[in-house]
Amino acid sequence: MRKKDTLTDLCMQAFCILCALMILAPILYAVSVSFMRPGDILTTSHHILPPEPTLENYIRALTATPIMRYMFNSFLIALVCSLSRVLVGACAAFAFSFYDFKGKKLLFLMTLTTIMIPPDVLVVQNYVTVSKMHLLNTYMGICSIFLVSANNIFMLRQNFLSFSRSLYEAAKLDGTSDLTFFRRILLPTSKPVLFTIFISSFVNVWNQYVWPMLVVNKTEMRTIQVGITMLKDRESSAFGPVMAGTVLALIPTVVVFVVFLKKIVSGMMSGAIKE
Amino acid sequence: MKLNKRRTKRRFQIQPYLWLLPAMIVFTVFTFIPFVQTIYRSLFIVNSMGEIKKFVGFENYLFILQDEKFRIAVKNTLLFMVLTVPTSKILGFLLAMLANKKRRFSAFYETSFALPMAMATSVIAMIFQLLYVSPLGMINGLTGLKIGWLTDSRYALFAVAVVQIWLSTGYAFVFMLSAVRAVPKEVLESADIDGAGTWRKMISVYLPLTTPTLFYLIVTDLAYSMMVMGLVNVLTAGGPNNSTLTLMQYIYQQFAGAGNYTNANPAAVLTFLMTLVCTLLAFAWEKKGVHYQ
Repeated sequence: MRKKDTLTDLCMQAFCILCALMILAPILYAVSVSFMRPGDILTTSHHILPPEPTLENYIRALTATPIMRYMFNSFLIALVCSLSRVLVGACAAFAFSFYDFKGKKLLFLMTLTTIMIPPDVLVVQNYVTVSKMHLLNTYMGICSIFLVSANNIFMLRQNFLSFSRSLYEAAKLDGTSDLTFFRRILLPTSKPVLFTIFISSFVNVWNQYVWPMLVVNKTEMRTIQVGITMLKDRESSAFGPVMAGTVLALIPTVVVFVVFLKKIVSGMMSGAIKE
Repeated sequence: MKLNKRRTKRRFQIQPYLWLLPAMIVFTVFTFIPFVQTIYRSLFIVNSMGEIKKFVGFENYLFILQDEKFRIAVKNTLLFMVLTVPTSKILGFLLAMLANKKRRFSAFYETSFALPMAMATSVIAMIFQLLYVSPLGMINGLTGLKIGWLTDSRYALFAVAVVQIWLSTGYAFVFMLSAVRAVPKEVLESADIDGAGTWRKMISVYLPLTTPTLFYLIVTDLAYSMMVMGLVNVLTAGGPNNSTLTLMQYIYQQFAGAGNYTNANPAAVLTFLMTLVCTLLAFAWEKKGVHYQ
C-alpha cells in the first residue's frame, strides 16, 4: 500500500513539474532568446536553445538604450509609492482603529468605496489634473495616483484593531502622546504586516504600465515597463536586445516574488477579506 | 486641572482628522473629484484643452452609442471577458487540485504556478509578441501553422485573451490553493467513507466548498478585464481593423490620440456602469450558487 502511494506521488510530482515548465515556457524562451545571435532568432529551424550563446544582446540593450535609467526611474517610483502607502496607510488606519470621532463611519465607508471605483476609468480626468499641476513628465506625476491604497488601510486597520486596547490606554495614562505611541510602540510591533504591504506594493507599482505611459513622454523619465515596449516598434524584428531588456525588467520582481512569496500572497489575500 | 482637561478633550477632537488628512487628500484629488467631474463633464462638449464649452445633456451618450467604433469596443470587451474570466478560474482550480497535497517538490511547482502573478503586463506582452510572430514564431513553429495571430482580425482577440489567461491563472491558483487546503478533513473523510473517487470529491466536495473564493476571484476579475488595455496597447494597439479594440483602448484613443474629451468622458462613465452591473450580477449569482460554511 505504502509503495503504491509513493509511486502515484512520484507520477503526480512529475506531472506537476511538467505543468510548471509549460507555464514557465514563455519566460524560459525569452531568457534563451536573449542569449541568441540575431541570425538565430526567428529562423525556419526554430531554435529553442541558443546554438551559440552570446552576450551581445545585453551589451546592446545596456549601451544603445537608456535601460538603466528606466530601471532607476521604476525603482525610485516603486520605492516612494510603497513607502507612502505604508506610512499614509498606517496613519489613516491609526485614526480608524484608536479614535472615536464624528464622521468616522462615513470616512471609512468612503475609503472602502475607492476600491469600487477602478482608477482606470478616472484616467482622463486625472491626466487633466496632473497636467494642470504641471506634473507631466515628473516623478511626482507618476507617483501621484499610487500614493495611497484603500486595501492597505483596510488591512492595517484589521491589524491595529487586534492590538491590545489596554496597552494603549496604559501608555496614555503614562503621558505618552499618540505620536510617540504610534512611532515607538505601534509601528515596531506591526513590522510584519508593514513589510508585507511594502513588498506587495513594490511589485505592484513596479509593474504599472498604463498610467506611467500616459503621464510621461520624455525618454529619460520613462519607467522600465513603458521603456521596454519602446525598444522596438511593432513591425521591426530586432527581438534580441528587446528580450534582453525584458529579462532585465523581470529579474527584480521575480526575485522579490520568489523570496517573499508568502508575504506577497498574504498581502494580496488581505484584499479578499471583505468587511 | 479643569483647563487641562478641556485641552486634552479639544486635542482629542482634531487629532483623528489630522491622521486621516494625507490619505483623504489623495483620495479626494485623485478619486472623488475626478469621479464626480467625469460624470459632470460627460454632459458637456469639452474642447481638446479640457475646457467645458457647451451643455448638451445626454447627447454625448447618444453620440457614442451610435459610434460604430464604440459598439465594437463594447462587443470586444465583453467577448474578452467571457473568454478570459472563466478559463483562468477553471485552470487555477485544477492547478490548485494538482498541488493540493504537499510533496517533496511542492515548493518548486507552487512557485512556478504562481509566478505569472509577478509579471508585468508589458513584459509578458513583449514575450508573446515574439512567440506569435508569423510565420516564423515559436507558436507557428510548434503547431506547424502559418497564422498571423496578431495581424489576422479573426484570431487577434483570441491571441490577446490567451496572454491574459496566462497572466491571471497564477493569481487564481494562489487563492484557490489556500481555499482547497482549507477544506475540513472531516468532510473529506466522510466522502472517503461514502466511497467517493478523486473526480467525485473534486466536483461535489472541493468545488462547492471553495465557491466563496471563486466568487471573490470572479468579481475582481470581471472589473479587471473590463479595464483591459495594457496588453492590447502593446500587442495590437486595437488593430487589425479594430478587432481588438477594447473600451479602455477606445477611451485612450479618443483623448490621447485625438484630444477628444467629449467622447472620452461619457465612454468612461459607461465603462464604469458596465463594470458595476457585472459586479452586481455576480453578487446576484453569489446568493444562488455560493456555499458559505
